[in-house]
Amino acid sequence: MARVYQVPRHAFPWLLAGALLASLPHLWRGPLWLAVAVPVLLGWRTLIQRGLLAMPGKLIRFPLLLAVVGATLYSHGTVLGPEAGVTLLVAAFALKMLEMFRLRDAYVAIILASFVLATTFLFSRDPLTTLYIGSALVVVMAALVGINDPESGVSPWRHLRQSGVMVLQALPLMLVFFVLVPRMPPLWNLQVNQQQAKTGMSDSMSPGEISRLSRQSGIAFRVEFDGEVPPPAQRYWRGLTYGWFDGRRWSQALPPEVRQQEYLHFANGPPPEWYEQLLAERGEPDWRYRVVMERTGQQWLYALSVPFSNRQEVGLARDLRLVRRTDIESTFDYQVDSYQMPVARQGLADWERRFYTSLPQQGGNPRARQMASEWRAGASGDAAYITRLLLWFNQEEFYYTLEPPLLGENTVDEFLFRTRRGFCEHYASSFAFMLRAAGIPARIVAGYQGGELNPLGNHLLVRQYDAHVWVEAWLQGQGWVEFDPTGAVAPTRIEQGLDAALAEYGESALTGLAGALRGVPLFARLSLLADYIEFGWAKWVLGYSQQNQLEFLSRWLGKVTPQRMVMALAAVGGVIMLAMLLWMLWRVRRPRLVWWQREHRRMTQMLSRRGVPLAPHLTTAQIVQIASQYFPAASQPLQDWQRCYDTIAYRKEITEPMVLRRQLRGLRRRVGRRLIRPMSLNPNPDQQREA
Amino acid sequence: MKRFGRMVRQRWQRWLQRRIPPSRKVTLDQRRIFIFPTGYGFLFLLIAALLFIGGINYENNLLLGFSFLLVGLFLIAILHTFRNLAGVTLVAGGMRPGFAGARGALEVRVQGGAHAHRSLWLRWPAAVAEEVSVEPGQQQSLWLSVRLSHRGRQDPGRLRVETRYPLGLLRSWSLVDLDHLCLAWPRPLPGGECPASGGENDAGQQHQRGGNEEFEGLRSYVAGDSLRLVDWKSYARGRGLNTKQFSDPAEGRLWLEWQRLPGLDPESRYSRLCFWVLELDRAAERYGLVLPDGSLEPDLGPLQRERALEMLALSGEGGG
Repeated sequence: MARVYQVPRHAFPWLLAGALLASLPHLWRGPLWLAVAVPVLLGWRTLIQRGLLAMPGKLIRFPLLLAVVGATLYSHGTVLGPEAGVTLLVAAFALKMLEMFRLRDAYVAIILASFVLATTFLFSRDPLTTLYIGSALVVVMAALVGINDPESGVSPWRHLRQSGVMVLQALPLMLVFFVLVPRMPPLWNLQVNQQQAKTGMSDSMSPGEISRLSRQSGIAFRVEFDGEVPPPAQRYWRGLTYGWFDGRRWSQALPPEVRQQEYLHFANGPPPEWYEQLLAERGEPDWRYRVVMERTGQQWLYALSVPFSNRQEVGLARDLRLVRRTDIESTFDYQVDSYQMPVARQGLADWERRFYTSLPQQGGNPRARQMASEWRAGASGDAAYITRLLLWFNQEEFYYTLEPPLLGENTVDEFLFRTRRGFCEHYASSFAFMLRAAGIPARIVAGYQGGELNPLGNHLLVRQYDAHVWVEAWLQGQGWVEFDPTGAVAPTRIEQGLDAALAEYGESALTGLAGALRGVPLFARLSLLADYIEFGWAKWVLGYSQQNQLEFLSRWLGKVTPQRMVMALAAVGGVIMLAMLLWMLWRVRRPRLVWWQREHRRMTQMLSRRGVPLAPHLTTAQIVQIASQYFPAASQPLQDWQRCYDTIAYRKEITEPMVLRRQLRGLRRRVGRRLIRPMSLNPNPDQQREA
Repeated sequence: MKRFGRMVRQRWQRWLQRRIPPSRKVTLDQRRIFIFPTGYGFLFLLIAALLFIGGINYENNLLLGFSFLLVGLFLIAILHTFRNLAGVTLVAGGMRPGFAGARGALEVRVQGGAHAHRSLWLRWPAAVAEEVSVEPGQQQSLWLSVRLSHRGRQDPGRLRVETRYPLGLLRSWSLVDLDHLCLAWPRPLPGGECPASGGENDAGQQHQRGGNEEFEGLRSYVAGDSLRLVDWKSYARGRGLNTKQFSDPAEGRLWLEWQRLPGLDPESRYSRLCFWVLELDRAAERYGLVLPDGSLEPDLGPLQRERALEMLALSGEGGG
């Protein structure tokens, strides 16, 4: 075998550090064996570099590769797909470090390291991760610089500086590409997060589900208002409606006779009748805002009623909620105009009346049914019945709690008449039941209520624990009207949020560290700042899409055509490249001055400012002589200064630099104080100008 | 096909000749520098393309951003790789002749410009490259060995100056003609009788320095004088370097003559003469040289040897 390629001593630290930094995020996330194997392989590589071990031969490397494939299969059940693929990639990359016989292997390993680094973005996208990846890329590129510099005895830091400069110079270009390179829809459908759980609301609700969500402080979405922010009591973010009750579980369903196209309208389809009516009735929007949503893995979007969105892939359902055509797999933002308007004129179709008053056929909850029919019979109308019911919730001994007792067969009966401790889903569920039992069309709306206003960005931050369910009832002449039984029991929940409401009952949603820290003012302020940064990140970076790009570009290019985009890209990129080239070629690095030279410069600058004409290249003695003519009062300190300066500048060794430095500076200041304007006897040509 | 290839190559050479004309001193600038990605550069771009597709497919803006950063790095690397070569001045330096069939060496001085130039590789066509780095404003001297195929002056071809620093993703290079020639002495051909006139009749045998040379006196040492003739005793006494002078004995003078090698082709004659020049030089014998196109007065020492070899190399303007 030919001579084995030796990575230069000054390049190896970067190679090792780059490999480690590239795989580190995956070790955190991936299977345990990977977290053990990669450091061991890298340690092995270090011993090889030190000359303590030889590069392993095929007989060792091949079984290792097989073992890695086997372990990946064992951990993920497959070697395909992003999760397993990345595990395999990281392990194979670490193995590649043991197969470095030629310069080519080193190149391949380093370029592979940048690929491994990039795959981290499949799993984490926050600003800190991005900062980490950027810094790690500098290290990886420093390794590349290192293997291209075969001189020995070079300082490794030089490579880091070179690579740092290059990455910084590449940043403006990246920005231009990011903004201008045409975005495309996915070429084929591949989702990285298939195994990842869907978050937020689900399409059905049984007792206890929403309260589980209320223990999470994760971000659901953020809203940026164009204009006023609605008061807390009006922040009902509708996400989906549950129309079907099976006695225990409310779920999103449609009767089989309803066609999807008539129920859900997207911009490119033929508008159904109800949609046209809505369009005709709407006036000026009450709220105009932009929602930036985190990944949910679901289709539904959250908005205030009645929402219209500008985005092509967002449709409006007949139950007045926005739906995205595909699941939300990455940060998604949409502009919404909301109109507070009665939706009475579209009427209630026969199927709707039947569907929204349906209750389980087999009966159940007899007490509730009986009370409903008695009360309805005694009330003057639907509205009066509802008012009485809400009043009852308010005045009876109902408790708002995150830890309600378990309910048996007849959930509504047990809750209304026995336990009386519940979370919003209990109140909404029993309230809707009572309406339906009285023959009033009702449905449950699931979404979020409230949101914390971040004063820094003036945006609302809606978290998972703001999850909420409430009820809508169809009232003749008024259309769908919102009722919130939870508000009747615990008004604080609506006005001040979950924490305040639970506090009244001596509970807290967030336990542990997160809960404890929420009370600390400094932490609260820091978390507001972090939220502000994260929102900007989500809005400008993660959420920058084809649509944003078109909007942005049409402002600058007028009509956006592919040719114009390419031209803009070439023009801006070219200008940046040219500017950098000129800067690189003609930049003259100013020689670094030593401290006494800096002192000297300060002195001449001071004298010039005071009007002493000093030609360049004067000796120190000449400078002092000329300055003394202009400022006779400063003549003595000037001479002292010169003596001190000469001592420092022309002595071979300086034993006490700090003392001399202070002395020289002191003398300069004394000269400065003596630079009083001379009397008229002195021929000062600058006198007029100075006066 | 072969003819086509040759035509292209000729065209290329002619174009180069116009673009970078021969000169003893060449400063590299944008007119003289070529730049193209290396295989690793293409691999790097491939990785960036894969990440771009991944970013599009996973709707992941950060993956897209990373791929754009890689492309940006590649573009910036063009500037850096270009700059690493731009401003370098190459100057033809000294020359070390050698025997035909062996190697000579040519000196190239590499002068830096306003900034540092790292890891420059210099090589003649079909030769091994030498690496050099130059600090700003400094100069590095590099001796590049040259294969000498035949007797006479030899043009090593265009010097290729190449660099891949800093990332190795691009190669920038220039092909300069430094108008630098290397001298090849004839390949020594041992054997035969000493083709000399004068001296003893038995010229083929080793000569003993006999008492037939008369010591004439001392003169001060001149570079090139044989060290054997230096009066070391007087040097040891602190009188400086002096060379002993002998009067030529009438019969001790050897003239190596082209004419005395009948039956050999010209190149062999040069080779044979070369062998004898080296032999006589080793024996510290005084010799002269007579060639069809010139002659050299008898003398001895390294300078004489140098002159004789050069005459042999250039006689008839090279061997062809």
